[in-house]
Amino acid sequence: MGKISMAYIHEGEWPPGTVDIHIVKKSLRKAVSVAILLLPFACIFLSFREISATLILWRLLLSGHFVILLLLLWNPVHKESVVIMPAFGVQLETYYASGRIIRRFIPAGEILKPVLLECVTPVTCYWSLSLLVRGKEELVLVFKELRPPMKMLLPVWKALCASMENKESAVTSGEVEGG
Amino acid sequence: MADLKHRILMVSDFFYPNFGGVENHIYYLSQCLLKLGHKVVVLTHAYGYRSGVRYMTGGLKVYYVPWRPFFMQNTCPTFYGTFPIIRTILLREKISLVHGHQAFSTLCHETLMHSRTMGYKVVFTDHSLYGFADVGSIHMNKVLQFTLADVTRAICVSHTSKENTVLRSGLPPEKVFVIPNAVDTAMFKPALVRLGRDEIVIVVISRLVYRKGADLLVEVIPEVCHLYPNVRFIVGGDGPKRVRLEEMREKHSLQDRVEMLGAVPHASVRSVLISGHIFLNSSLTEAFCIAILEAASCGLLTVSTRVGGVLPDDMIVLAEPDPSDMVHAIRKAISILPNIDPQVMHDRMKRLYNWNDVAERTEIVYNRALKCSDQSLLERLSRYLSCGAWAGKLFCLVMIIDFLIWRLLELLQPAKDIEEVPDVVLPCHQHGQRIEEIFRWKSE
Repeated sequence: MGKISMAYIHEGEWPPGTVDIHIVKKSLRKAVSVAILLLPFACIFLSFREISATLILWRLLLSGHFVILLLLLWNPVHKESVVIMPAFGVQLETYYASGRIIRRFIPAGEILKPVLLECVTPVTCYWSLSLLVRGKEELVLVFKELRPPMKMLLPVWKALCASMENKESAVTSGEVEGG
Repeated sequence: MADLKHRILMVSDFFYPNFGGVENHIYYLSQCLLKLGHKVVVLTHAYGYRSGVRYMTGGLKVYYVPWRPFFMQNTCPTFYGTFPIIRTILLREKISLVHGHQAFSTLCHETLMHSRTMGYKVVFTDHSLYGFADVGSIHMNKVLQFTLADVTRAICVSHTSKENTVLRSGLPPEKVFVIPNAVDTAMFKPALVRLGRDEIVIVVISRLVYRKGADLLVEVIPEVCHLYPNVRFIVGGDGPKRVRLEEMREKHSLQDRVEMLGAVPHASVRSVLISGHIFLNSSLTEAFCIAILEAASCGLLTVSTRVGGVLPDDMIVLAEPDPSDMVHAIRKAISILPNIDPQVMHDRMKRLYNWNDVAERTEIVYNRALKCSDQSLLERLSRYLSCGAWAGKLFCLVMIIDFLIWRLLELLQPAKDIEEVPDVVLPCHQHGQRIEEIFRWKSE
């Protein structure tokens, strides 16, 4: 019920040797079905025509307006992607259902290492992919909102490690030529 | 059967970085089980910022679950709140057996309860003695009765502890095994240079509380100092009874003959022990006194009350918890001191009290536990009903709700959606070894 709602897409290098894109998409079916389930409650409470302080408070508390507010504010994540540009850096993108996109770019020179970690919460435990970034105390999560399974994280981690190795070998050969 | 390797989940509220007997026991036992080829995972609560997954020596994996301790390092008891994370850990680590430690640990009790609901075999080790009369002990004993009603096997650290556990919990004695604790003899070695006998030093290291017999020391020390002008005491440890010892020192003007060290860090215990000839233990009650093992490993002759976990007769002089009898025992110990060779004593301790031996004996208990038949919910509920007229019904209700919550968790997050964790193999040679070879990943 959890993991089958996610899909992993690797758009490969385009053009070859330049950019590598990894996308994890989440199905919005669950979000839409929850919204559909909550709407009748909202409609029932909004149908009351009486206006009194007690009833307004009661309606607010018992989810009539609260449901509408929740539906307006709740912005589920549609997909997250990792764009690996060798020698430039990594761009992490989060796409919301509303159309909003948040992009974070980390230059290649600042990435120390991509790491796979187990995260433990009071109720569950899951794998996450993070970047060790120079100068930052905290790890940077590659997939900030979604929790893809390990089989989706592994190719992304390998691609990040490969781009780090290419960057190091490019720097080494550059030093040899320059020296 | 010797080749059967287990995947064990050790669970307790008491683990490193907290320091104590239970913590040491879990750590050393886990390390020896890892050496025997088993997989061991430890589950405990988070200590401050130490939260998440950590790896210790030998690849020992520790889950520090971020549940805050609320009383004496114990996780807040929620009955069912820890079920989701415990279920996740049991499934992702492919655990075959759960081993809980210490009756005072709420996390242990909850984990054993949820593990039994899920059908795992559970083993429980009791490390302490508890009373029967006070309100706290009555409640603790009822909780223990609930947990042990359905435990597969139990381990106690001494025969005294087994008697106490069986009486408190009503567990059948044939289900309880006695496996004594051991001592890290590599850490507790005698002094390189033997001490002279012009002055005899008696060492006491314990918490200065009533249960550890601190009141006995107040009577014994002045008497021994009066009888033997060449005897000196070193007292390490702290507690509410320290004031009484300080007053005794002042009253009898023993400042130059009784040295009070205060709290001694465990890493410094050996250096204090090797400065003495005799170790004095005055505990009124103890499930297993590791302190006397540590002292014997350092080559000290022990004078002790009759507590659980007693040494061979030629290494210890026993006494009743009575000041005059203890003085008599100290007199006897001083007379046989010339016959004691610290190195010989240390070598004997290495053979007698060995963590590898404890691990092999524990492995036998695991094998027996895994041979037990699986039981349905109804069969298990009948065991809880026998716990008491009202308590039995309450326990059954708790287990029925636990079973329903398990089914709900199976519906919300099926077991097949919980990814199994690969086994981490510690690389012997890091150069030229591909990362994928280190993780034995299940191919899909």
